Amino acid sequence: MARVTLQNVAKSFGGDRGPWAVQDFSLDIADGELVVFVGPSGCGKSTTLRMLAGLDDVTSGKILIDGRDVTALPPKDRNIAMVFQNYALYPQKTVFENMAFGLRVRRTPQHEIDRRVRSAASSLGLEALLERKPRQLSGGQMQRVALGRALVRDPDVFLLDEPLSNLDAKLRVRTREEIATLHARLGATMIFVTHDQVEAMTLGDRIVIMRDGFIQQAGSPLDLYDRPANAFVATFIGSPEMNLIDGGLMRDGGALVMRSGGLSVNLPAQSFSGAERDVTLGIRPEHIERAETSTAFELVVGLVEQIGAQTYVLGKIDGNKIRAVFARDDALRAGDRIFVNLSQEKLHLFSRESGKTLRRTSTKGENGNGRELHGQAQLRRAELQG
Amino acid sequence: MRQDWRIIGLFIGGVLVLGTIVGGPLLYSIKLSFYTAASFIDPPQWVGLGNYVKVLSEPLFWGSLLNGVTIAISAIVLQVVLGVTIALVLNRQFVGQTVVRALSIVPYFLPTVVACLITQWILDPNYGLLKSVFASFGYGMFDWGGNSTSAKATIVLVSVWIWTPFVVTCVLAGLQSIPGQLYEAARVDGAGVMKQFWHVTLPGLRSVLIVVILLRGIWMFNKFDVIWLLTKGGPLNETETLPTLAYRKAFLEFDLGGGAAVATISFLMLASIILIYLRVFPIDEAKQGR
Ligand SMILES: Nc1ncnc2c1ncn2[C@@H]1O[C@H](COP(=O)(O)OP(=O)(O)OP(=O)(O)O)[C@@H](O)[C@H]1O
Ligand SMILES: [Mg+2]
Repeated sequence: MARVTLQNVAKSFGGDRGPWAVQDFSLDIADGELVVFVGPSGCGKSTTLRMLAGLDDVTSGKILIDGRDVTALPPKDRNIAMVFQNYALYPQKTVFENMAFGLRVRRTPQHEIDRRVRSAASSLGLEALLERKPRQLSGGQMQRVALGRALVRDPDVFLLDEPLSNLDAKLRVRTREEIATLHARLGATMIFVTHDQVEAMTLGDRIVIMRDGFIQQAGSPLDLYDRPANAFVATFIGSPEMNLIDGGLMRDGGALVMRSGGLSVNLPAQSFSGAERDVTLGIRPEHIERAETSTAFELVVGLVEQIGAQTYVLGKIDGNKIRAVFARDDALRAGDRIFVNLSQEKLHLFSRESGKTLRRTSTKGENGNGRELHGQAQLRRAELQG
Repeated sequence: MRQDWRIIGLFIGGVLVLGTIVGGPLLYSIKLSFYTAASFIDPPQWVGLGNYVKVLSEPLFWGSLLNGVTIAISAIVLQVVLGVTIALVLNRQFVGQTVVRALSIVPYFLPTVVACLITQWILDPNYGLLKSVFASFGYGMFDWGGNSTSAKATIVLVSVWIWTPFVVTCVLAGLQSIPGQLYEAARVDGAGVMKQFWHVTLPGLRSVLIVVILLRGIWMFNKFDVIWLLTKGGPLNETETLPTLAYRKAFLEFDLGGGAAVATISFLMLASIILIYLRVFPIDEAKQGR
């Protein structure tokens, strides 16, 4: 088991001039940690993983495993194991030999190979399949063999590149749980790549969100959910997506007011730095609450989706498209007008130009961690409506 | 249902065409092997297994068989080893890859006659290119065609020259079908270049190699043109093979029955070897290695 450090790692497939697949990637992964890389297609997740594995060279930067500089080492000298997206099982070898290959290459004694393969096979439920060839297996079974091949090696670091993407929804969830269990049991350092935010949230000790080759934010799942560093992270994490409302920020006496169309939201001056004028207000659908009084916002219901436990609503508040999640309500119909409150402590504010979270001008400085919004955000109906 | 009839129609048509152009001559040759005839015009005389008894008791027959097998195996081994090596080199990324790949198949286009004439022109003991080269260094010329081993070697080399591009082309196609990620998996598993070749490349080429070796085996065992053009079976029948022997008997010694008997035995041996080969190495992926 090992600690993994990436220092300003960058990768360009076109030499020094770019385009850059990964840029300025710095991350410290603790021993035994399960880190998930997540981001949209083409953001550089696989490239980063491949550089860690030694399959791609870094263009600049350094990679350390347990303090040892492995930047220039070939894959075989890094003691990493990798699970590929499409399994990459050796088609002519049996399941047993697929798992044993890494050990054979390292001249492990036969009895040791037997022991390790059988123990991995039993923990993955593969005992009955050991003599089969990959083509005689189902997708889920191949997936487990690929995992087993990594397991028997007892590597310092496990790298998993979208290992669940070829499985159907049910099997995904089950294999995800198996991986989590496995991680808990082995206490191994694991890096897991996915573009599925639910997978990331449920699996990761820590999530690294990437876009266009850059890390957008790294933090615990709830950290990212509660305190996104920018609008991209805010909308990427959480389902359904966070509502974003573009508007203008202005000072109204002592208070900050965000205006968008007929909507006007008062924000206490001490909550956000009010330097910017063009801003985006963010509120998660689940933080929109039903209200009784007419002092609240009026939501015109457009579309109702019944999920079972919850009711999803797509509607409009003063012309702004809003998605909301309520407790189940069988009576809700399109065209209904209902009253809602926006959970005040759960409001987010982003710069429209950079997308960055506009932080409270607090003494905690710029790192954003531990930041809490307890300033009373005042929401009220716009006087300017009409 | 209509489609079924079309399929059956095509099948029957195929069988008829094949039967006429392959089965006909084959049956005629088998029939001929039970008769004696000096030419195709003479009325043939029934001799039963006489031709077979005579042919099988001749040392020349067994010598020719051995020659044929020796030449075929040496040529195939060389073609496959060379072909795979060249294909591996051509499969790497390099500037001008497309051009070099295209050029590599050129010897395959060369008519056998031309290839053999060029070889003779190079190797001729009296006026050949090599003789001049040797002479310029003050050495005498070795008579390539005068010695059993060198005569066989010449035939093998010419076959390798003409037919290696075929192997290269097949293997190059086979290499494209091996997923690159298998190599990456092997590298992560700790395999070096040789181990990657043994555990990824070679198994991936298995089907291609089985077919290539089968085809090259059949063609080499039945090889007539190169041998006839280069040595006519000489010196002293040292490069005589079953096809040249059959030809010699039928058309030079006017023993049609004997020639047909040699051809029939040769056909039966080849057919049984192919059957055994395909049992041991099934082309069908699903049956491999079970
Ligand atoms: N071999 C390559 N040559 C050139 N460009 C490449 C190569 N591999 C990846 N790229 C580019 O690098 C960028 C990052 O690719 P990468 O495969 O890391 O994305 P990813 O985050 O894994 O995406 P996905 O979720 O689709 O797998 C992409 O823009 C891609 O086009
Ligand atoms: Mg990828």
